[in-house]
Amino acid sequence: MQEARLLSKTPFVVALYAAFFVLLFLVDMSGTGFAELLAPAIGSDGEGSVYARFVTSVTLSAIITLGIWLIGKLQFNAQRVTVWLIMAGLFMLFFTSFDLSFEFIQSKIWFMVSQGILTTLYISVVSISIASVLAIIGAVAKLSSNGFANGLASFYTSFFRGLPLLMQVYLIYLGLPQLGFVIDAVPAGILALSLCYGAYMTEIFRAGIESIPKGQWEAARSIGFKFGLTMRRIILPQAIPLIIPPTGNQFIAMLKDSSLVSVIGVWELMFLARTLGQKDFKHMEMLITAAMLYWILSMVLEYAQSHIERRYRKG
Amino acid sequence: MKIITRILATTLISALPFASVMAGEALDRVMDKKLLKVATDANWAPQSFLNDKNEMDGFDVNVAQEVAKRLGVEIEFVTPAWDIITAGRWSGRWDLSIGSMTPTTERAKVLTFPAVYYYTPASFVVHKDSDAQQVSDLDGKKVGVTTASVHERYLQKDLTIDAEGVPNFDYEVDTDFIKSYQSSNVVLDDLRLGNGSRLDGALTSVPTINEAMKNNYPIKPLGKPVFFEPLALAIDKGDQEFNDRLAAIVAEMRADGTLSKLSQKWYNYDYTSTQ
Repeated sequence: MQEARLLSKTPFVVALYAAFFVLLFLVDMSGTGFAELLAPAIGSDGEGSVYARFVTSVTLSAIITLGIWLIGKLQFNAQRVTVWLIMAGLFMLFFTSFDLSFEFIQSKIWFMVSQGILTTLYISVVSISIASVLAIIGAVAKLSSNGFANGLASFYTSFFRGLPLLMQVYLIYLGLPQLGFVIDAVPAGILALSLCYGAYMTEIFRAGIESIPKGQWEAARSIGFKFGLTMRRIILPQAIPLIIPPTGNQFIAMLKDSSLVSVIGVWELMFLARTLGQKDFKHMEMLITAAMLYWILSMVLEYAQSHIERRYRKG
Repeated sequence: MKIITRILATTLISALPFASVMAGEALDRVMDKKLLKVATDANWAPQSFLNDKNEMDGFDVNVAQEVAKRLGVEIEFVTPAWDIITAGRWSGRWDLSIGSMTPTTERAKVLTFPAVYYYTPASFVVHKDSDAQQVSDLDGKKVGVTTASVHERYLQKDLTIDAEGVPNFDYEVDTDFIKSYQSSNVVLDDLRLGNGSRLDGALTSVPTINEAMKNNYPIKPLGKPVFFEPLALAIDKGDQEFNDRLAAIVAEMRADGTLSKLSQKWYNYDYTSTQ
């Protein structure tokens, strides 16, 4: 409620108003659509004149300050929703100022979803599954007292966390054929994403397993459980609730990183965003559409993620 | 257990032929599978791009389809990044590149060029507000090109074109500010922002410039074309038979006017010779 208290102090509101006024006066809004609305007050020949700049900035900063003051009066949730709506509105205004062809977007969007999103999701789901398996193996190896296993695992995490993912994509796609293994673009992309994310997730899994108190291991050993059984029956069931939420976050991150495999010619969302508008020189349309699709996808997944987190917090 | 061993054995055996590149292998692969895999850029209208039906289309694509038809096989397009195609060592991932590639001596070290199928003029282009009158006015200015393209090599004064029937050329611009981009459309997108805001000029092919101007880009070509680039089919090294077969097909397509017809269709101009 910090803001609300500040906004009830008159000097602060006046300062806010003055700041907006100065800013808008310097930016010079007299050439914009907003100034046209004020044409009756300015006169039609006013564009660029000091008077026109003065009038537009006085009015616009009054509107903005009033808006902020009104939002300050609202409850927390109402504030949140209002701010979201205003930001979304400003975004839309910003995008429409590009003079985009919505017809073109409409004609391409279904293909972007059916081909692009599907490929993006498919690559991400397969990669996160493989990465999880790699992560379990890596974490167990890192925690083991076997120097050989530990060395291998720490080398793996160090290497794949230390290289840019884009470079890994190139290395795997171009490098493996030199060794005689020719794989297509999709498997190469999945391999790169799995190896890279497997390395990051090894650390997540390791931390999850380590967070289970030593006493649990000792207790298990005292009743004769071997390592594998202890892991399966005692440690992992407790560690997995800790591991799943950060894994979800990794999945959301991977969804966007999967765009890097577009360089080897996989027709996922990013590839289509760069390609579909090419013929008609409508790149902006496709880039913005793809950006929106990524964003919506992330929001849906974040929503699911918060549900999962809540569930495991309860359990 | 037995079944698993058998599956393993068959996969291993079927994977073996891909492990090494042998002479005649590419043509055998194409004819055995009845499938020609063609690598092409999906980002270069009107040569190759995704059309309204979201299928590959364009001059290069049509030429490739005709080549496949004359080989009597099906066709499939793959779209790796341009620098991956020009890097060579395709390892059988695809059989042929029909992507308006210039046969430079540098590229000839890793690829074989069976035949030149057309020539495009390359020209400098500037924003329409630019007051540059001739090509040399771009000396010392910011000029945009596509990465690993002949246009980039031209600006670096390191372009050798090794093909018959190509007129000689001089390096007419002297600049250290070469900005190179992943794809040619971004070059023109940066140029359209305004004269000198990101680029003072660009060097690209005339068909690309014409296509952009048709789409109301505020740009204009500068001076005459600076060089003609011969554009060729490319294959991986080491298959003379495939090379000869493709050369014969292109000669046939040139002789019966198919190439000219396709050039007219996509460029409204016959680019199959430098005349």
